[in-house]
Amino acid sequence: MSDMTNREVLLSLRNVEISFDNGGKEKFKAVQDANFDIYKGETFALVGESGSGKTTIGRAIMRINPLSNGEITFEGNRISGKLSKQEDMNVIRNIQMIFQDPAASLNERATIEYIISEGLYNFHLYENEEDRIAKVDKALEEVGLLPEHKSRYPHEFSGGQRQRVGIARALIMEPKLIVADEPISALDVSIRAQVLNLMNKLKAEKSLTYLFIAHDLSVVRFIADRVAVIHLGRIVEIAETEELFAHPLHPYTISLLSAVPMPDPIIEKQREPIVYTETVAEKTGPDYEMREIRPGHYVYCTPEQGIEYYNTSMNQ
Amino acid sequence: MEKMQDNLFEFAAFDEKESEHIAAPRYSYWKSVWRTFVRSWVTIPLTIFVIALVVFSLVQPLQSGYTPTVAPNINNQEMKYLAPSGEHIFGTDNIGNEVWDVVWAGARNSIIVSFVSAAVILVIGILVGAVWGFSKKMDKWMIEVYNIFANVPYLLLVMVLSYVLGPGLGTLIIVFSCIDWLFLAYFIRTQVMIIRDREYNMASKCLGTKTITMILKNILPYLVSVIVTYIARLIPSLISYEVFLSYLGLGLGSNYASLGRTISQYVSFMQGYPHLFWIPVLTLAVLSMSLYVVGQKLADATDPRTHR
Repeated sequence: MSDMTNREVLLSLRNVEISFDNGGKEKFKAVQDANFDIYKGETFALVGESGSGKTTIGRAIMRINPLSNGEITFEGNRISGKLSKQEDMNVIRNIQMIFQDPAASLNERATIEYIISEGLYNFHLYENEEDRIAKVDKALEEVGLLPEHKSRYPHEFSGGQRQRVGIARALIMEPKLIVADEPISALDVSIRAQVLNLMNKLKAEKSLTYLFIAHDLSVVRFIADRVAVIHLGRIVEIAETEELFAHPLHPYTISLLSAVPMPDPIIEKQREPIVYTETVAEKTGPDYEMREIRPGHYVYCTPEQGIEYYNTSMNQ
Repeated sequence: MEKMQDNLFEFAAFDEKESEHIAAPRYSYWKSVWRTFVRSWVTIPLTIFVIALVVFSLVQPLQSGYTPTVAPNINNQEMKYLAPSGEHIFGTDNIGNEVWDVVWAGARNSIIVSFVSAAVILVIGILVGAVWGFSKKMDKWMIEVYNIFANVPYLLLVMVLSYVLGPGLGTLIIVFSCIDWLFLAYFIRTQVMIIRDREYNMASKCLGTKTITMILKNILPYLVSVIVTYIARLIPSLISYEVFLSYLGLGLGSNYASLGRTISQYVSFMQGYPHLFWIPVLTLAVLSMSLYVVGQKLADATDPRTHR
């Protein structure tokens, strides 16, 4: 825990609110009051059920969804709202995204060479044609693909290969932060591990930082250093992965963890998922905020609930 | 049975790269289009026929020198109302003109009008439509412009414009181009909107790709098939409109040869000399039908779902 205070903050969200105009009088708030920091070199996971706003946060960081309130900073500089051309280019080069569906995220009418070179073309990040080809070859090699794939089209690849093309496309920009939006949930189970291991390998080699958006807790446990649990657009708990799995405090997190299937038929039969209803922990109110219950372990609660959570965590 | 010896076996080297290799032959979009296009036995002869027909229509009038304002045989009774024969392929008409020359001169003007206006319509329509599909600001007022013009009958627009500009070849091209680009632009706008927000376009956006590059590389390649289908419909319909307007006396005017005006002049001989009426009508039908069929075949071939 002690080293956490010394670590450098790479990305930081402050009071982030993202709302969508759904035609009604009141705008739909997909994300409210999101606050978290991502430290350099860590894998930060954002988990929650579908519709909880986790992808929306990822897209807000990529500046696809505009913020309706709050701000996002990267290396201390604001990246939400209007940016100058130079800042814009800087953000694009430093933050890249891996998309969920490898079948939909590649341009079917472009060769792999064009897809991977796209970022290079946009900012002319190569000296000459040979340099560009060399960079593409290197990116392909890093994700375990072959230089001969350059002239191929996405539809000729398997799901896992396509996802690796997507990773190569992000990697060639030499980003510091990669937002991975459920990068393996659309993949066959047999190749999920391959892609996860590749991501871990690349992280070590290139000292990357990941924001890993997922709903699969076993995957999160495998890859993440810290986890934020998001529910109905609100972050309810943030802790280091082992801490969170060992001492889940917020009722929603407890319920979420109890729903993880066990690969053991006897345990699985006896497993009783804890059902979470809004009444168990009242949603929100003026007293509610993120409170540090244990070192580095934050829960969205009132002061009274905080004491309660602290006591139960001590008895665990 | 002889016992299997260990030394008969050896470890095979495991090459991870081998599993990444793609054995299928290289895919090329345009090559596949060509292969699909020639797969059907009718397309090759029909395409040759269409090209020959168009080239012949463009060249023959230059050689015959026919213009509707000159009637060299008007006083020669022997040359009038001749039936088709070896000497006069399509026969002659009421003022002693070769119907063969009259028909091809008319076809030539129809083809020029339709091809030139189609080219103008395509360039303007696709460019405007692509930007229109991307720009929400532009959509706000363009959709109103479209609504106004789409709710006025097409023929009325064409007729008013050709009245204002007066008859002529250039006029007709301007009239068609001025009106039809809007419909194509609207069509392209809708197509762009359908694929604009797909994930791969979002990925391009995250890589900082400019809108114009996205239109050229991400959007238009997907629209080749629908655009070719549109062209296959557009050219025959422009030919028909030219003929129709000229038939009504609004199109090319009396200084230009026109299938439409020829048909309207010959329609009174339907009883006595039916070939005078039927020859230009059938020429028109064959011309626009074959252009349409070849266009449709090409449209099918450009759809990657038909590629094997």
